[in-house]
Amino acid sequence: MTQRLTYPDVVQMAVPVFVALILAEFLWIAWRGRGGRYETRDALTSLIMGAGNVAVGIALGFVTWRFFMWLWQLTPLDLGHGWWVVALCFVLDDLRYYWVHRFGHRIRWVWASHVNHHSSQHYNLTTALRQTWTGTFTFMMIVRAPLILLGFHPAMVLFCGGLNLIYQFWIHTEAIGKLPRWIEAVMNTPSHHRAHHGRNPRYLDCNYAGVFIVWDRMFGTFVPELGEDRVDYGLVHNLGTFNPLRVAFHEWVGLIRDVIRPGLSLRQRLGYAFGPPGYSHDGSRDTSDRIKAQHLARHPEDAGTPGFEAPRPPAE
Amino acid sequence: MPLTVLIPMVVLGIAGIALLLHLAGRSQRCVLTPVSAEMAWLRQFPGDRVAEATVARDGHAALILTDHGPGLLWAFGADTVARRLLDYDLIDRGDRLRVVFHDFTAPTVTLTLDPFERRHWLNRMQTP
Repeated sequence: MTQRLTYPDVVQMAVPVFVALILAEFLWIAWRGRGGRYETRDALTSLIMGAGNVAVGIALGFVTWRFFMWLWQLTPLDLGHGWWVVALCFVLDDLRYYWVHRFGHRIRWVWASHVNHHSSQHYNLTTALRQTWTGTFTFMMIVRAPLILLGFHPAMVLFCGGLNLIYQFWIHTEAIGKLPRWIEAVMNTPSHHRAHHGRNPRYLDCNYAGVFIVWDRMFGTFVPELGEDRVDYGLVHNLGTFNPLRVAFHEWVGLIRDVIRPGLSLRQRLGYAFGPPGYSHDGSRDTSDRIKAQHLARHPEDAGTPGFEAPRPPAE
Repeated sequence: MPLTVLIPMVVLGIAGIALLLHLAGRSQRCVLTPVSAEMAWLRQFPGDRVAEATVARDGHAALILTDHGPGLLWAFGADTVARRLLDYDLIDRGDRLRVVFHDFTAPTVTLTLDPFERRHWLNRMQTP
C-alpha cells in the first residue's frame, strides 16, 4: 500500500496567479466600463477572508490529514497513482463537492461556515477568495471518507480538491458572459455560478456544482441565469459590516444564540442547528422554500419558470 | 511554498489591490435618492409597502416608513443595507446620531444629520 505520496500545494502556488487575475479583471472593468463592480472595503474584506482561510488551513490542516490517514490505514484498497486514477478521483471529488456544497446551503450547521462566501453584494474575482475560516468545524471532511476507503490516497484527494478550488476561481466574474453551448452544458461557468450567488428567490439553492454542472442537471438543482431576472448578489439579509471577524463568525453566533435560548424543545434546538437556514420554531423567519412561495404569491406569472418549478408550501 | 515567501506575497498583494481600488475611486459610498432608497428597501423587504422615504442631506442614509413600521437604510460601500428599527439604541453626538442595533451582523450606523434633520428623524424613528 502506498504510504508516501506527495503532490504540490496547488492552491498556495496559485496565489500569485489569483492576484494577477484580480488586477487584470479590475483593469478590464475600468477600461471597458462594464463587466462587474469593485469596491475597496468589500474587496479588502474578501481578500482578508481568503488569507485567513489559507492561514487556518496551515494551522488546522493536520486534523483533516490525520483523519484521512487513519482511514487510509483501515482500507485494504489502493488504486495507485496512475493518471487515470487522478482523473477519476477528480471527477468523484467533484461529486463530493456538489453534495458538501448542497449541504452547505441546506443545513444551517454547514451554512454557518459557508455563508461568508455569499456575504458580498459584489461578484468579482475577489469574491472567489471570500472563503470560510470554520470549515473544519462542520466535519464535512467525512464526506470524503468514501473516496479514501475506495483506495484513493489522501494526498491525491486533497490535490484534486485544490484543483477544484482553483477551477472555481475564474468563474467568479461578470466580465465573461455565456460560453459556447457545449461548455455551458457540461461545465460550471461564470453564468451558472452567478445564478448560484443570486439572492433573488429564483436563484436560491441552485447550481451547487464545483467543476461539472452535470451534477446539478442530474440531481434537479440546475437553474440557468436568465436575462429577464438579473442576478442580485449577496445574502437574503445582507450584512452591515465589513469586519472580517463578524463576517466569519456571524452565523455561528446566531446559531448558538438560537440553540441556547430558553423554552425550546430538543427538536426545536436541533432544528436551529441542523434545519435549513431560515428555520424558526415559531415561523418568524423565512426559509428559501417560503421565500420562493412568497415570491410566487406576488408574481404568480413566474410559476413553472426555472427556479420555480417545484411545488412549494403556502407563503403564509 | 515557504511561509517567508507566502506571507509577504499575500500582504503586499492585498495592500496593493486595496490601494489601487482606493486611488481609482472605488471607495465612494452609495448616494441615495428617495426613489433609489425605496427600491433598495424593497430589495431587502419585498413584501413591504413603503409610505415614505426620507433621505439624509448627505445622501448616505434614508429613513423608511412602511406598513411594518420604520426602518433604516444606509450606504454600505457602493451598496446598501436595511434594517427595521425594532431593537436598537440611539447615541446622540451633536452632529452625528449613532444607531446601535442589537444585531451582530449590523452593529452600528453613524448618521450625519443637521439639527433640523435630527429632530425630524428622531420623531419619525419612534413612529409606530
